Amino acid sequence: MTELILQALFSGVLIGSVYALVALGLALAFGAMRIINLAHGELVLLAAYMAYLVESRTGLDPYFAIPLALVVVAAASFVLFLLVDRIKDHRELNSLILTFAIGIILTNAILLVFASDVRTTASPFLQDAVSLGDLFAMRSEIIAFVLSLVLMGALWWWLKSSWYGRAVRAVSSNRGAAKLMGINPTRIETVSFLVAGALASFAGVALYTMSVVQPATGHALTVKAFIITVLAGVGSIPGVFLGAVLLGVTEALTVTLASSALQELAGMVLFLLVLFLMPNGLFGARARRG
Amino acid sequence: MVGRTIVSAALVFSLTVAATATEAQDAPKTFTIGAHMPLTGSLARSGQAFTEGMQVAVKMCNAASPKFQVKVDLIDDESTPAKAVSAVEKLSSDGAVALIGGYGSNIIGPASDASDKLGKVYITAGAVSDELTKRGLKTFFRINNNAGYERGIATLIGDLKPAKVSIVASTKEAPALLAEGLEKDLAAKGIAVTVHKFDPAITDFKPIINKIKLQDKPDIIMMSAYENDYVGIIRAAKVLKPNVKLIVGTWSLATPKMYTEFPDLMNNVVGTSFLPFPVEVKDEEGRKFSEIYKQSYNKEIEYLSTLSFVETMALCEAIVRAAEAGTLDKGGLAAEMRKTDRNSLLGRIQFDETGDNPNFALSMGQHRDGKIVLVSPKSAATGEIAYPALPW
Repeated sequence: MTELILQALFSGVLIGSVYALVALGLALAFGAMRIINLAHGELVLLAAYMAYLVESRTGLDPYFAIPLALVVVAAASFVLFLLVDRIKDHRELNSLILTFAIGIILTNAILLVFASDVRTTASPFLQDAVSLGDLFAMRSEIIAFVLSLVLMGALWWWLKSSWYGRAVRAVSSNRGAAKLMGINPTRIETVSFLVAGALASFAGVALYTMSVVQPATGHALTVKAFIITVLAGVGSIPGVFLGAVLLGVTEALTVTLASSALQELAGMVLFLLVLFLMPNGLFGARARRG
Repeated sequence: MVGRTIVSAALVFSLTVAATATEAQDAPKTFTIGAHMPLTGSLARSGQAFTEGMQVAVKMCNAASPKFQVKVDLIDDESTPAKAVSAVEKLSSDGAVALIGGYGSNIIGPASDASDKLGKVYITAGAVSDELTKRGLKTFFRINNNAGYERGIATLIGDLKPAKVSIVASTKEAPALLAEGLEKDLAAKGIAVTVHKFDPAITDFKPIINKIKLQDKPDIIMMSAYENDYVGIIRAAKVLKPNVKLIVGTWSLATPKMYTEFPDLMNNVVGTSFLPFPVEVKDEEGRKFSEIYKQSYNKEIEYLSTLSFVETMALCEAIVRAAEAGTLDKGGLAAEMRKTDRNSLLGRIQFDETGDNPNFALSMGQHRDGKIVLVSPKSAATGEIAYPALPW
């Protein structure tokens, strides 16, 4: 039993780190603009298909697709921002509808271009098993875990130490006051969306290397990212990581200790429980108390 | 002069009318079949393959029937039951004489209910749930069913005589029902069975496979699921390497496409099939289908497109028979469907009182280095099963 639980914890942490990678971009846009980008999962998916494109056409490792994914997804993210920015009334609600519609358009565009087949990496190197004692994982999962930690650290540093990062936080906490301090909110929001697009690019490529993707995958990714963002609490980068790992571990333990059919349900119960006990999320509440 | 002109004009007019009338008499009458397929959404892959098979069947049916032709009006049901129901209503109001259903028992159920209320014959090859034929609908027909898949898999596993089998089953209706049926069948053969149902949203199967490895310790892992799940399950098994002898699955697994796309995962895996690969089609109709399909889509026929081809041919022929008998617009199509008795790539097609095809049975095919060898039942086998044999 111990071996089972340890493997479940290990798998949970690994899958959680990928959830975090997927959720980071959504959390950033949500934190900066109070906009829930319901097309975020589709942006991640777009990057995954760029990885497929590069691997299938050139035979190169999917990670070589990151530059292409960065360009394509950042461009898509920029267009998305331009459209969202045109909304003048009831921005939060109308942007939900707009981004949801863009998500549907992106899904169908991917379907048209790449067909509906299941895609995943063919690289034996990435699929090879790595063992840490009695614990097993695919090499791609370990790479995605490290990538997730590095990007998390980079984003944390950027938000904390760079001028743009501080400006994002300023716009996030008070748009009007930030404007009075000489910050151009539109420019900062554009940067946030571009960074969110860049994060989605890494997430998509990592996802392609360790899981299967289909045009319909995007919506599920958005839902997962949204749950994690709310679990974490608005504006908390470590919260995103911890929330994602908590979700991953809860799901894996549910499979091991109860039934695999209850995995998604357990995640939703956790989500509702945290919302009920800590309405501002795990880290949002702590920040407010501090 | 004027009189001559009038006579000439009258002559030309009568000749034109006569020619038009002859043309109208000779022109084949065209009937519309309505079809709803999941061209987008989670089932888009199945919907596209179904559509391809259906289009080839229409071509072949029209070529064989100079008097009556059919055309297909297709609506994307977006993989959702509500859209499928509204598609049925729209197609029926647009004059469809019968309907072809898409994929998924949860979608076909309400769509065929709607079709029955409108008095339209509804045929499907994408819904195997037992519940569908227990509703007493007089207009519902299908060519494949859960029992056929269950028989095929249970025969193979029974012949291999394993001590224990672990079934990994999606909680979607058809795979869950198949798993339940198999559990009973195999238990009756004295085989110990453990079932692990999983939510279709799962992407990481390692915790399930680890349970199988450390707790169940089976001889065979049986997957009752879909393509994306197969990839996840076999990948997890490849990482954790449970001490099993064979991996078996169901639909859409023993196909050339799966081997082409996932060569490192598929070798020695067994799934339901009806043709070996390279394709060896023995009958004339199958050969023609294979040829036109390759010309149209530049690929070999596959599992889903063949199912769709066979159901469309059966419907099309019944429409032609009913039209010839003059009963098509008098509700005679359902009766003609029940008279269906034809051979096909899937074997003999007949419909019983519930609209089900009692003859449906599948063989089991094993991936072998890019080929698919039929390994069970013995009567259909094209080679011996490799056992124990795994993808890793």
